[in-house]
Amino acid sequence: MSKEKKGSLKDIAKEFIYGMAAHDMTRYALKTRSSMEHLFILITMGDLLGVPILPPYYSLRLLPYIVPQISTWKRRMLREKDLTDALF
Amino acid sequence: MNSLVALIIGIGVAALGYFLYAGYIERRIIKADSKRATPATLYMDGVDFIPTSKYVLFGYQFKSIAALGPVLGPIIALQWGWLPALLWIFFGTFFLGWVQDYASAIMGLRKEGQSFGALSYQLISPRARLILLCFLYFYLLLIVAAFGNVVATMMASAPAIPAAIIALMVLGILSGLMIYKGNMDLIIVTILMVVLSIFSVWLGTRFPITQGFLTWVIYALFFSYLGAVLPIWSYTQPINYISFYLVFIGIVGASLGILIGHPDFSAPAYTTFNISIGPLWPVLFVTIACGAISGWHSLVSSSGTARQLENEIDARPVAAGAMFLEMILALLALIFAASFPAFGDYLNKLKTAGPAGVFAEGMSNFLGYLRVPRTFGTAFAGAIFVILAITVMQLVVRFMRVATAELAGDRIPLFRNMHTGAIISLLLAFLLIHSGTWQYIWVLFGASNQLMAALAFLLISLWLLSEKKPFIFTFIPMVFMFVTTISALFLTSRSLLEKFYTLTEAQVPKGQTPGMARTGNLISALIGMFLIVAALLLLGDGLKVFFKPDKQNGEVKNV
Repeated sequence: MSKEKKGSLKDIAKEFIYGMAAHDMTRYALKTRSSMEHLFILITMGDLLGVPILPPYYSLRLLPYIVPQISTWKRRMLREKDLTDALF
Repeated sequence: MNSLVALIIGIGVAALGYFLYAGYIERRIIKADSKRATPATLYMDGVDFIPTSKYVLFGYQFKSIAALGPVLGPIIALQWGWLPALLWIFFGTFFLGWVQDYASAIMGLRKEGQSFGALSYQLISPRARLILLCFLYFYLLLIVAAFGNVVATMMASAPAIPAAIIALMVLGILSGLMIYKGNMDLIIVTILMVVLSIFSVWLGTRFPITQGFLTWVIYALFFSYLGAVLPIWSYTQPINYISFYLVFIGIVGASLGILIGHPDFSAPAYTTFNISIGPLWPVLFVTIACGAISGWHSLVSSSGTARQLENEIDARPVAAGAMFLEMILALLALIFAASFPAFGDYLNKLKTAGPAGVFAEGMSNFLGYLRVPRTFGTAFAGAIFVILAITVMQLVVRFMRVATAELAGDRIPLFRNMHTGAIISLLLAFLLIHSGTWQYIWVLFGASNQLMAALAFLLISLWLLSEKKPFIFTFIPMVFMFVTTISALFLTSRSLLEKFYTLTEAQVPKGQTPGMARTGNLISALIGMFLIVAALLLLGDGLKVFFKPDKQNGEVKNV
């Protein structure tokens, strides 16, 4: 029991330090990746937002690979953003 | 007052505030519900909306809110004596600080993680969003000006520090390359770089670099320029990452020093009502911002943290808990300054090396209890201070570049260019640093921060009103913050305008010409007046909604 408690305290400390030191870095890395992905989806699936860029034939060929991300992509693309989104 | 007693009282206030007051508000008014889905779980996209452990978020929130603000404010405010500063830190955090941080996070949670801009549009008025953006721009500009000034003053007055800061720049770039390009083990890179950074501090004590104030202003702005235009992984991030460990080591070391040494305060409890930067009320309440209440925190809580909370009941430990921990950080800064061997030493140091010098010497006094050599301790503490400022500066200039593009990019396409945006921001900051009076810039910075807090309280009160919940616990702080901050801005702008018209040769700060000083005072006064007008417009729009709640703009459409 006491060992378990020690382990959890260690985990808490680790998570706290990670939160202070590196959580920001992880989020930036995720944001960078998602920006790339979203740009790719915009090019290939732009007609979903009324921005046709790629001929529909190629869009349809790529559609199966992009289906899982479409809802979050649309939400992120259409969500209102301002400066504070760039801050954090 | 003994420093250890002050620390114990601080911990007691934090515990009371967290368990009693925050617990009461959470249970009885907010009615946090662990079963209610949060935006992080509802809209999980793996980027902005990610359910995250409360311990990770606690660290993230604390790091995002605790920079130079809670350290600098109490050091300057000690000129009124330790008691007013201590009382404001305690009461400010207890009745205002955590309330704002926690309620902003909860409002973000219940409003689908919307940003303050969208909420201002929805809850106040369409123009509130634009005013908020302009407001943020000046706020960021004042941060760069205030922090740039203390960085340059510190590096010019303590030649042992620059080597460490230059080394940090190089080591940061190296660690970015090692982590991201070399795929090296993060722990090994961290240990190596932290050891090298500490070694560079020692090196600085052996090979001091002596340059003037202007050189270090340009260096600090160049440092920030690189932070604004280089890819974030290659410069800003690794520098901030390595810096974190140095600051962490320093703060933990000095805290241990307080436990071991626990000296008495040499500063008097109270000195006088009027000091050089203004009267105790209202200026003290904007001088100590982050350590008691800060508008910046509301932005972190709403746009950053609220989108990552996986459970509503985590909001209290994360948002309120981080604020109480920051209160302790502000208290540590006050203890460093108040425990100088003599109060006169503190005043002399403040005059010659600024608050940075006071921090460095105060912290090194406490590191001395751990047998850290004094020369090294002072250089290390000074480097920590500069790091706290310069790492924020580079991020802020990056945000200003984005803000410049957003505010003027549509009309003038050139402003969308990142170099143009960064250079314009830096030129404005340079103008303020070079010609302005630092103490007034600090007051303006604090006031813009506190106005942001007043705006956050306004938004929270309007949201509580729309939810038909009691809002007295946010409405009274809102009135207090608006009245106090607008008064402080009015007094400061008036003093600056007086100086603009009646400046004598004797009043010209060192290193400035009368023309420069006049220009700086005029620009600062204009910024102060702009902030007053912006705050009054927002307040007016907000009050209209208070009396006619049906005038709210309705939901901002989300998909």
